[in-house]
Amino acid sequence: MSHTVLVCDDAIFMRTMITDILAQAGFEVVGEAETGTQAVEKYRQLKPDLVTMDIVMPDMGGIDAVREIVKQDPDAKILMCSAMGQQALVVEAIQAGAKDFVVKPFQPSRVLEAVQRVLG
Amino acid sequence: MDLSQYAELFLAESREHLSACNQLLLEWERNRASPEPVSGLFRAVHTIKGMAATMGYGRVADLAHRMENLLDHLRRSGRAPADEIIQLLFRATDALEKAVGLAVAGRERDADLSVLTDIDHAAIQTKPAPQPSALARHFAPEPVEEPSLPVASAAPAARIIDIVIRSEAPLKGGRAMLALRKLQTLGKVERVQPPVAVFESDDFDGRFVCELDTAAAPAAIEAAVRSVGDVERVTVAGGAAVGVDEPQASAAEGAAGGGRTRHIRVDLRRLDTLMDLIGELVTERGRLNDLAARWVGQDPEIDEVAIHISRLSADLQNEIIQARMTPVWQVFDRFPRLVRDVARQLDKQVAFRVEGKEIELDREILDALGDPLVHLLRNAVDHGIEPPAERKRHKKDPEGEIVLSAVRERSSVAISISDDGRGIDRVKILEKAKHEGIVGPHVESLSDDQLLRVLARPGFSTAEAVTSVSGRGVGIDVAMTRIRALGGSVEIRTEPGKGTAFVLRLPVTLAIVRALIAAVGQERYALPLTYVAETVEFGTVPLTTMEGRDAIVLRDRVVPLVDLRKLLGTNGGAPAPPPRRPVIVLEMGERRAGIVVDGMLSQQEIVVKGFDAPHGTLPVFSGATIMGDGVPALILDSAGLV
Repeated sequence: MSHTVLVCDDAIFMRTMITDILAQAGFEVVGEAETGTQAVEKYRQLKPDLVTMDIVMPDMGGIDAVREIVKQDPDAKILMCSAMGQQALVVEAIQAGAKDFVVKPFQPSRVLEAVQRVLG
Repeated sequence: MDLSQYAELFLAESREHLSACNQLLLEWERNRASPEPVSGLFRAVHTIKGMAATMGYGRVADLAHRMENLLDHLRRSGRAPADEIIQLLFRATDALEKAVGLAVAGRERDADLSVLTDIDHAAIQTKPAPQPSALARHFAPEPVEEPSLPVASAAPAARIIDIVIRSEAPLKGGRAMLALRKLQTLGKVERVQPPVAVFESDDFDGRFVCELDTAAAPAAIEAAVRSVGDVERVTVAGGAAVGVDEPQASAAEGAAGGGRTRHIRVDLRRLDTLMDLIGELVTERGRLNDLAARWVGQDPEIDEVAIHISRLSADLQNEIIQARMTPVWQVFDRFPRLVRDVARQLDKQVAFRVEGKEIELDREILDALGDPLVHLLRNAVDHGIEPPAERKRHKKDPEGEIVLSAVRERSSVAISISDDGRGIDRVKILEKAKHEGIVGPHVESLSDDQLLRVLARPGFSTAEAVTSVSGRGVGIDVAMTRIRALGGSVEIRTEPGKGTAFVLRLPVTLAIVRALIAAVGQERYALPLTYVAETVEFGTVPLTTMEGRDAIVLRDRVVPLVDLRKLLGTNGGAPAPPPRRPVIVLEMGERRAGIVVDGMLSQQEIVVKGFDAPHGTLPVFSGATIMGDGVPALILDSAGLV
């Protein structure tokens, strides 16, 4: 059975692109979230194998969402989606419990490598 | 990976964020102390940066990045920004908007990035004093905070780990942090050099050393570190060798639950095509119904099928119309910025309010509505709202108010633009109208309706007649023509000293309307029912004349007549008109007219097709439709007849 993924990003553009990359590699994107609050809520509902998490989102940011999700599920597998120049935020996200990160602009091969690492 | 397929999505979403930027800047300009706008701006610009970088639009990404940098400084300083900063951000947003458009058009090189110098300059000026981040403070004292193990027992197992992250890896600090976390799963990590706070810096070179108190074997440690990816080299030195496998990641959780709503974006052209196809289906449905009526004697089942098909196509039509509905905010959201800019330019003070943002209209109508609204809003600021000094003299708030509102009515949407300005000077307009021979010399006053008709005369310059503030011609006629082409109507209400309101009434959807099919000579014409008040028979009501035109008296009101035969020049080969011709009474606001036709054939749904009228065509047609028998018919524009 293919792995299930929850894609969290406030930009539809980014969600579409990540979804396309993952779907082509045989993953099943089962949900999308536009805010940190939604991400936490959807994680609880969907219990996905993997979460891709944007750092900057309205309402609740990605790092706080990681903290909330990890609080509920210490084994949550969260892949941060960051941009150049977000070194400090990425370090903080990993501290909060994120398992890996990819850097925009995304290269499909790098995204899939990171996903494989996170899923072990 | 082919990125071109994402270009439209990029453009659409960037525009949404740019529109949000304008809203937030306006909010910030009004309320400098509020902390919310800057966070929202930061997020919007950041999102555009990420998308642009992904699309490979380097210049757009760079501009967004430098704006983000400035916004970050402003956000962290927590101080109210100076006016120049807000104005700079407005300029930067404009530059970003242009750059986005050019990039998608494949002309990113043409983008004007001259604003960058000012952005960078402002970023330097606003840079807050450096202070250790919360994380650095949290992480640095780590070995001290937790109760340390006795040094004696820790020393023999402590290994020194030296890790180098690949030089080409992005965000090496993040990668180093992952390696450190991995080591923490194996044992206690101490004496990280350089300290973790340095990982957060962009200057971090990707190399760090630490001590690990662990029972794991060197090979297992190395494998664990390498598993985080982008690791160039791992060296493990010292300690005892006791092999322990690295902990395995726990099994994944169960599959996802159901019950999720999904959205997809659809190209508008695809919806247009669907609408056209539905239109043809509706036409064929009409033919099927005609056939069924003829054949029902032979086989009653045909009637059943016809009814079923009718119902299905009606449902389908409804769904597609729904899919095309778009909330008006998608067009309205750019107006606060517009009103602000015009007001600033003219030194006026204007509070602008938008109401009914969530009201929905057909996408095509909404798109066509943009320009006329821009026109009317500009007018409201320019000619409606008085300069602050003049308002004070008249004991009015120096800040004027303009309200743009959308309200759903029965089968239409009313959009009004109202201002509390000086109102339109009827006396001056009347003088000018008399002077130009638009109204007779004996006319004493103009009703709202007549006023609008005078204003809407092409070339009638209200700028001269009403105000001396601006020399710019107005051209309400252009706005009115557009609204009428959409099957809408315009009303005006104005009161001297109190203000002016324009009310635009628009059909909710363009595509399919119920119409009355009338015959004139050998041709058929469709009249949308929206404005049909009633029908009467010529000869059964008293006749009179009104301003030299034939008219009928209907319940004590005089209704002027328009004879379509005469208007359309139906002649010669056409059969003689029947003795008793029907009159279709149209009503638009206060105005009425009776349209005299040869006969009324039916009432049916028609599919409106765009219509490029050849030059010289009478301005009384708003489109065309294909009838059930495949023959085209012209649609009469009620507004052009009344």
